[in-house]
Amino acid sequence: MSTTIYNDYFGEFGGRYVAEVLRTPLDELEAAFKEAMADPGFHAEIDDIAATFVGRPTPMLYARNSSRELGGAQIFVKLEGLANTGAHKINNAVGQALLARRMGKTRIIAETGAGQHGVATAAVCAKLGLQCVVYMGEVDIARQRPNVFFMELFGATVAPVSSGQRTLKDAVNEALRDWAASFADTHYVIGSALGPSPYPDMVREFQSVVGRETGQQIEQYVEAEGLSVEALVACVGGGSNAIGFFAPFLNREQPRLIGVEAGGRGPEPGQHAARMKGLGRTGIVQGYKSLFLLDEDGQVQDTHSLSAGLDYPGIGPQLAALGVSGRVEFARATDAQALEALRFFARNEGVVFALESAHGAAEAIRLARELPSDRAVIVNMSGRGDKDLFITARELGGPRWKAFLQSEVDRFADSGAIGGAE
Amino acid sequence: MSRIMAHMVAFYPDRERSLAVAKGLVDGGAAYLEIQFPFSDPTADGPAIQEASQRALDAGFTVAEGFELVREIAALAGSRSGPDGAPPIFLMTYASLVYARGVDRFIADGVAAGATGFILPDLPFDHDEGAAAAARRHGAAVMPVTVTSAPASRLDALLATDPEYVYVALRRGITGSRTDLDDATLGVLDRIRSTGTKVMAGFGVSDRGQVDALDPHVHAVVVGSALVRAVAAVADEPPDAIRAAVAGRLRELTG
Ligand SMILES: Cc1ncc(COP(=O)(O)O)c(C=O)c1O
Repeated sequence: MSTTIYNDYFGEFGGRYVAEVLRTPLDELEAAFKEAMADPGFHAEIDDIAATFVGRPTPMLYARNSSRELGGAQIFVKLEGLANTGAHKINNAVGQALLARRMGKTRIIAETGAGQHGVATAAVCAKLGLQCVVYMGEVDIARQRPNVFFMELFGATVAPVSSGQRTLKDAVNEALRDWAASFADTHYVIGSALGPSPYPDMVREFQSVVGRETGQQIEQYVEAEGLSVEALVACVGGGSNAIGFFAPFLNREQPRLIGVEAGGRGPEPGQHAARMKGLGRTGIVQGYKSLFLLDEDGQVQDTHSLSAGLDYPGIGPQLAALGVSGRVEFARATDAQALEALRFFARNEGVVFALESAHGAAEAIRLARELPSDRAVIVNMSGRGDKDLFITARELGGPRWKAFLQSEVDRFADSGAIGGAE
Repeated sequence: MSRIMAHMVAFYPDRERSLAVAKGLVDGGAAYLEIQFPFSDPTADGPAIQEASQRALDAGFTVAEGFELVREIAALAGSRSGPDGAPPIFLMTYASLVYARGVDRFIADGVAAGATGFILPDLPFDHDEGAAAAARRHGAAVMPVTVTSAPASRLDALLATDPEYVYVALRRGITGSRTDLDDATLGVLDRIRSTGTKVMAGFGVSDRGQVDALDPHVHAVVVGSALVRAVAAVADEPPDAIRAAVAGRLRELTG
């Protein structure tokens, strides 16, 4: 049942297509990763932090009201967003930071888009006493200020990236450049199941706790109700929550595994971030071979998603290979469908999905409608929506939200507060 | 006079002006030209070349037009009278551009345009998607890249492929004098040279002292960012002014 820990390539995808200067740290990382994964002491360390800091296991919710309203299959929600710092990203940050400490590294760098991975990494570094620098595109800094605030509160330095599109992919480029000069004392914590090997394997292993818990919770809560699981559904940016959620099920034929990409505003180039089902091309970018949104010449195209965490032109190599083999199916949800799903579950269940995860929720709704009531669909709520307040409220909050923001600015000015170290 | 492999970005600052840059490099006595095709995500480049790449893309660079430009530069270089003949052209770019066109087709088109070889930093010699074999088929070479920090076993494996040229990226910018080139670095350069391979070395070379220190240990010294910065300083001037400025900067380095 378990998958191989170190694969390097997944079918034709994956590999380590990096400038020679990065080969040494990647070789060292591969060796350290394999060694640690074979050491029960390392797993015990992870389990301890998972229980006392991350908040594992995260619950599984039976979305009864939603299922009744839809009139089809029963929807369950893996509430991964209840983990500390609000998303699955913390699982990977914990694993990699512990590995880095084991390797004797004292400094951590990371890239972030939405800021969730940056916040998770900064929190873990605060806990473990590691120095932390997070690269973040200027565009993302502007739209995700609350997460910048939290990273700095955790003591991290947020380094603005002004090159390229000034979003996630540019932050990855900048982190790689830093690492090429700093690897003697620095580990690069990549935030999704992509990049040069061993990252896709390593991130999957650290995220697969989500899938393992889900397997147990299926026995406990889903099969106990006499339901059979039709599908697991997860949103896919780079693919870390999806591959972790799916990992224990990859070598079985059932259930169906469905990854949901950002359909954005529509299928035109630049309007979405969907790489599967014909929109992406095989290419080699940022150290790995996979499917990317590229123009005819191989230049990386602009992407769009309302959710910053899905706004990335490449998909992790293992998911790309699983898409080609057919084991994982892919779907798309638009910005509008994700927002609608977010409202639906908030109203019916009292949970707010992160905008990324809401793409998965939209597909779960669509699928449940088509299925009989003795089937279950399990969706991973990879993150909770608190972090998106300023985006969702702009879309859904109407004039009262605008008035609130205005009055908040006035209050800020009146109080004379300029707090903190800007 | 030291041999220099002089680097430029195709279409930087724009098509016409990048042709002027090439002319300036030839005037200034470049022994080799390294012409970089700009890529949207140049992970192995520092700020100067990143910015130049972005501006070149904004100026309308396409791969097909890049080959046209190379063709013009090759013709231009070929018309130069002088004892050394034309400076050979090495085309540098990232894997994405090569893979998108098809490795064999990219190499064939590059050779047809006049390139002598290719530098592809994110295609490692042992996972190069067939680039070196394609280059051999078309009568050209891929110049593999190594770093002075590479373990000996990695360098041995590279040299076992019997490359005609090796590009050595000196990990940190060497800062000016002979003594900054430490023994380990010189040892790597001399070790590669002893196999009969032509060593091109650079990364952060920006003054005459560095060129002189490297010169006895290499076939050619690579100058990249320093020349791109020289172009940046005159980027909005007319082509002739750019040509003169670039030639002047290169002469400062070669002596
Ligand atoms: C809550 C949440 N879900 C999903 C993602 C997308 O990443 P991945 O596909 O790696 O899970 C992000 C990325 O920031 C996120 O914050």
